[in-house]
Amino acid sequence: MALEDYRADMLRCTRCSYCKWIPFDQVKSQRFAKGCPSIEYNRFQPYSAGGRLAAALSLLEGRSSYTERFVDITYNCLLCGLCDVACKVCRYNMEPLQAMRELRFKFVDDGQVLPQHTAMIQRLRQEGNVMMSPEAGRSDWAEGLDVKNLTQEKAEVVFHAGCRLCYDRKLQKLARAAVSLLKKTNVHFGIMRKNETCCGGHAFDIGYHEEFVKCAEKNMEDWSRAGVKTVVTSCSDCYYAFKRLYPELGSGFEVVHMVEFVDRHIKQGKIEFTKTIPLKVTYHDPCHLGRQGEPYVPWKGREKKIRGQIVVYEPRRPRYNGAWGVYEPPRDVLKAIPGLELVEMERIRESAWCCGAGGGVIDAYPNFSLWTAGERIEEAKSTGAEAIVSACPWCEKNFIDAIEANGGKMKVYDVMELVHQAI
Amino acid sequence: MEGKKRDLIGIVGKENVLDDPAVLEAYSWDQSFALPMRPSFVIKPENTGKVQEIVKWANVSRTPLVPVSSGPPHFHGDTVPGAAGAVVVDLRRMNHVVRVDRKNRMTLIEPGVTYSQLQPELAKEGLKLSTPLLPRANKSVIASLLERQPTLVPKYQWSLPEPLRCLEIVWGNGEILWTGEAGVQPHSLEKQWEMGMAQINAMGPQETDWHRLVSAAQGSMGIVTWASIKCELLPKAHQLFFVPAEKLEELIDCSYKLLRVRLGDEFLLLNSSNLAYLLGEGADGIRSLRERLPPWVILIGVAGRVILPEERVRVQEEDIKDITKQFALHPVSSIFGVRDEQVLAALLQPSREPYWKLGYKGGCQSIFFLTTLDRTPEFVSTMYTLAEGLRYPGQDIGIYIQPQHQGVAYHCEFNLPFDRDDQTEAARTKELFVRASEELIKKGAFFSRPYGIWANLVYHRDAQSTILLKKIKGIFDPNSVLNPGKLCF
Amino acid sequence: MALSKEAYSVLEDIVGSENISDDPALCDSYAFQWLAETARPDRSHFMPRPVAALMPGSTEEIQAIVKACNRYKIKVKPYSTGWYFYCAPQKDGDDTIQLDLRRMDRILEIDEKNMFVVVEPYVICATLQAELMKVGLNLNVIGAGISTSPLASATSYSGPGPSSFWMGHNSENLLALEWVTPTGDIVRTGSLGSGAGWFCGEGPGPSLRGICRGARGARGGMGVYTKCGLKLTHWPGPPQLTIKGTVPAYRTPIPENFRAYTLAFPSWPAFAEAYFKIYDNEIGYLFHKQFNMLGADLGPAFWILYNDPTKTLRDIEETAKKPEVKRLTEEMRCAFQIILAGRSLRDIEYQDKVLEEILAATGGWKVERMAEPDMAEFTFLYLTRLAHKHLNFVYAGGYLGTWMQAGPPDYVIRYRPVAEAGLYRDQDSGLLAQSGGDSMMGSGSSIGGGGTTGFEQFASYDPFDQESVKAIIRHMHDATKDAVAHGFPPGHETPFLQIGMTDEELHERFAKSNQPLLFHFQRKIKELLDPNDIGDRLYTWLPEPGK
Repeated sequence: MALEDYRADMLRCTRCSYCKWIPFDQVKSQRFAKGCPSIEYNRFQPYSAGGRLAAALSLLEGRSSYTERFVDITYNCLLCGLCDVACKVCRYNMEPLQAMRELRFKFVDDGQVLPQHTAMIQRLRQEGNVMMSPEAGRSDWAEGLDVKNLTQEKAEVVFHAGCRLCYDRKLQKLARAAVSLLKKTNVHFGIMRKNETCCGGHAFDIGYHEEFVKCAEKNMEDWSRAGVKTVVTSCSDCYYAFKRLYPELGSGFEVVHMVEFVDRHIKQGKIEFTKTIPLKVTYHDPCHLGRQGEPYVPWKGREKKIRGQIVVYEPRRPRYNGAWGVYEPPRDVLKAIPGLELVEMERIRESAWCCGAGGGVIDAYPNFSLWTAGERIEEAKSTGAEAIVSACPWCEKNFIDAIEANGGKMKVYDVMELVHQAI
Repeated sequence: MEGKKRDLIGIVGKENVLDDPAVLEAYSWDQSFALPMRPSFVIKPENTGKVQEIVKWANVSRTPLVPVSSGPPHFHGDTVPGAAGAVVVDLRRMNHVVRVDRKNRMTLIEPGVTYSQLQPELAKEGLKLSTPLLPRANKSVIASLLERQPTLVPKYQWSLPEPLRCLEIVWGNGEILWTGEAGVQPHSLEKQWEMGMAQINAMGPQETDWHRLVSAAQGSMGIVTWASIKCELLPKAHQLFFVPAEKLEELIDCSYKLLRVRLGDEFLLLNSSNLAYLLGEGADGIRSLRERLPPWVILIGVAGRVILPEERVRVQEEDIKDITKQFALHPVSSIFGVRDEQVLAALLQPSREPYWKLGYKGGCQSIFFLTTLDRTPEFVSTMYTLAEGLRYPGQDIGIYIQPQHQGVAYHCEFNLPFDRDDQTEAARTKELFVRASEELIKKGAFFSRPYGIWANLVYHRDAQSTILLKKIKGIFDPNSVLNPGKLCF
Repeated sequence: MALSKEAYSVLEDIVGSENISDDPALCDSYAFQWLAETARPDRSHFMPRPVAALMPGSTEEIQAIVKACNRYKIKVKPYSTGWYFYCAPQKDGDDTIQLDLRRMDRILEIDEKNMFVVVEPYVICATLQAELMKVGLNLNVIGAGISTSPLASATSYSGPGPSSFWMGHNSENLLALEWVTPTGDIVRTGSLGSGAGWFCGEGPGPSLRGICRGARGARGGMGVYTKCGLKLTHWPGPPQLTIKGTVPAYRTPIPENFRAYTLAFPSWPAFAEAYFKIYDNEIGYLFHKQFNMLGADLGPAFWILYNDPTKTLRDIEETAKKPEVKRLTEEMRCAFQIILAGRSLRDIEYQDKVLEEILAATGGWKVERMAEPDMAEFTFLYLTRLAHKHLNFVYAGGYLGTWMQAGPPDYVIRYRPVAEAGLYRDQDSGLLAQSGGDSMMGSGSSIGGGGTTGFEQFASYDPFDQESVKAIIRHMHDATKDAVAHGFPPGHETPFLQIGMTDEELHERFAKSNQPLLFHFQRKIKELLDPNDIGDRLYTWLPEPGK
């Protein structure tokens, strides 16, 4: 695809501003009605999806050219996808999120990049991760764990830890907890150890399509060689990459998030809780597990019109509007933990406010990233919860940092951490 | 002067130009404390064309005009000339009920049409107007509505100028405009009716609400020569309930709740004195009634109209009971011998003679302003304190609180009866009037209809609006011929 | 033209460097507007580009900006949410700054007892309604939906919606107002100017409010409204709506004191008669001919499809062919939606009886499929929140409303068949969505208490397809011609067409209007309030004769 392929979306945007807010039916208060962190933080119109589409059109029509501001407009966005959900409440023929991604691809192709991103990509090329860390330390988290090495053995299930869990010392425990849970259920699985490569999702997010493809092809090759059929991960970003992006490259692997895995096994009676955790928690839906975590089938086709001008697609194009994300499994898991009380924030499920870590923002716009996380923590506090729980280490990391920066007693957990504690 | 008389006779005819001293004297003063000023002539035009000619003439001859639509007695000083050499334009000959339209619930009338004339006409078609509190029988409907006199049924008041809709205005520069939807359609009422239109929407045309510029303007911006007015349906079932209380404070929250859910048609709060003034006959009768009545009462009329009218009344009655019970109050159909039918009948008619405010002592001054209901006890207390200080008998103060605009704004009125022939009493009343006005405005009373001394008080507080208003006046009445000396003009 | 460095610097000093930009792409994101393609040369989707975009944070900042713009002869174009080409700069060659008011988003006061609220321009109906419902209050949400600013609809543009019959047109709901005039003066109307609060918009004496709004509002062309009071209405429902269902098929349970119906009628006269009876009998918390906006031929199929989250637009033809949907389509050809709200259970029972009598008298009936829980709950949520108004554009990405001449119901049904025939004809080319000639929608009453309604004809076009854009422009002209040929005044398309006219063409039109005097008076008001012409021509006027 090219940016020109989204000209129709640009022209069919009506500038209704739905992309700035959560789906309006779901609005419960003024405080927590906003949906788009980018425009809330940056304020000018082009920082919304609709505004960005208009700016893209301006570029395509030669009315404007690359400027520092335009670069800022393009990258100062979490690509959280709330805009996409809100737009699609009423529209079947708009793809604002994809259009904004395509804008980034064009910027990168034309050399309009941010130095922070360039640095990250260079390290990715060199070290195979987005944590700016040496490749050699990739599997340090698994030290002492008795788990198959799929570079030498075969198994149908691979556990992919992901860059954050591999290198973030505070969060490595989550990878170990996941492995421990997998072992408990007698699944035959392994890990790629040092050979595990970044999923490529971040590269994709910041517009480096080529780098993403390299990561993806390597991963898929490695898994195939190891006889893998199913990829399990605790990282929602990786989950999204594997589930939504890899199929475009021919991937046929089943992709399972640990919360789905655990939920299934609880309901089958294969995981039982023996301890109580008396804690009031609220659950944060990671963008890449929730609204962007829907089942995905690649589609190739064309637009066609029926009844004169009604825009549809041939063949039938699946619709991704956040309806079928992974919302219930993490909640069911939390509800199953004895003593845990789950209270909901106002913006949940497809309407969740982003944690602030996505879209390359955490690297290039750390203040914006932290502000976004801080907003979410405020929302969590408003529920009276003692802890915010999520299913993505990037979300958790950002929440931890925001609480540290702003002060506060809110605790941050991963679902797996609580599961592990309760078993 | 003879030249002017000739000119005026040329416009309206000899029999419609009056300069008899007794006639002029009658127009030179009113019940207010406004300084008397004799007009030079009183003229009685019969149609819009004549009114326009008069206004154009006034611009050329630089003659002040004072439009008057109602018969006497007048109360607010707005019909007393504020400049020498004025000509009173008495519009009472323009008294046609031009149209009554049941289906669209509209009527179109001329300025000389009074409530006592209009209501029976409307009733023939099953319609009525929400009226002010016992208006004078000779009160012009258009004048009353133009001056934003409060009406009894707040739930139908979608905006404060309601139920006034479209107008034909002869502006102070002599040009004529039709306002509202009448102003965008073909410029013929007959054509509009043929099209199926009924002059319903008051807004505009274009980016101005022209009708608002003549609202509460005391005739100083333009002369209205016809108006379309929204009517209500005549009830088929109609009852009145009293909700009595010892203190006003006890009625506040209950009133809020009732009004919020739009219970009732007529809805007003009166103190015992005012209710006695409305119902009693003669000073003794009034005094005796006042002593029997509860200190405060909500009057709430409940109507049923087209479909299942009795059931509508019954449902409302039950809902009223449920709500009043929450405040330990009870709706009743009679209070100390005063029955609901008696009061309802009084409310639905113009005042009998003498005008009800004058029945107790022959004279009366009214202080009225807008506020919110929760603030009324504070204003009432202020009034009583001032009255005590000036030795005005507190028990004589008649208090009337009228919810407006569906319960957002409240007309708060203090009626001060006095004997006009007793100089001491008159002076005391005047002093109370002036001191109370000053004190109330300081406390946040909004004198939205600034008659007499209120004009200075109000416009001095709002300099920016005053400057702008004067400039706007300069557009519509560049030579300041319309009722100069009123408001801030 | 660009802003001079000096002017930019002055404005930057007022709002702060982070709140001003003249970047071309950024400014183009403000210039891009729905309907621009119907008015601009070469059907561009961009209105004239502002020379800069600013985001002021207070009335004082706006005042300073306006004064500066007077000095530097820059036009000022404010907007709240900015939806519609009226919100953008209007003329090429005019240096205009866009005032994006999103920083002014406070709900300043909710006076629960006195039922009013005070808001800034960027408060939208969605958030305000959510806060109001918590305390048992509600507001009139205009037909364009819950994403709009109530301050904007009360002061500057269209104010009716499904709730207007019960809650009033937003012009009727406007209380006191704070206004920065084009000279940079601050005018506070009504009780506010007298220091008495926000509860009254009239007076003292003649209302300055009269020069603030009128029928249509100046659409940002005459100063900036920075705060206003709005009258509210009781909400007898729950403090928060419980939303069920999978997006987009959200629904909410109907409380026991509410009803949600689609009412159908055997004929248009019966339909109009029902409107009159509803007016007379004062039932109808929300009252709107809403669902027909997607076409009498195709709309019912769409609504059924929409409430199945597994479906896409591709399924519409298949859905339309189903026997039960075909029946529903025929049943709903002459129909509207109504929500009843009882203050008590006995009241809602009474209202139900009244409705039954109205239906009996007019031959109408409650559409059964729409009364089934899924569709009834959807209807109730849809009309209460009006959160799906972007569906106006669902078919092809573009929609435009023609006709909508206002009048009593029996007047409006007379132009209905003309509008229907015209749209069928114009849809025939295939360049407009073929949803049916009758794609008309309208408030049960556009003003409080009933009396006047209107049918807006929805024509859907594809803004990406130049031929479709040309077709919608032709349709606007056709609609005007059809109206005039049948003795109706031109409709809603008229102000849209005016955007593309030159000043001379506009003035010629105004001069031929029923009352050119209006425009002359407005010129004088403009000369008074905007001597340096920093507003725009959406505040309409005529030059002095001979000039």
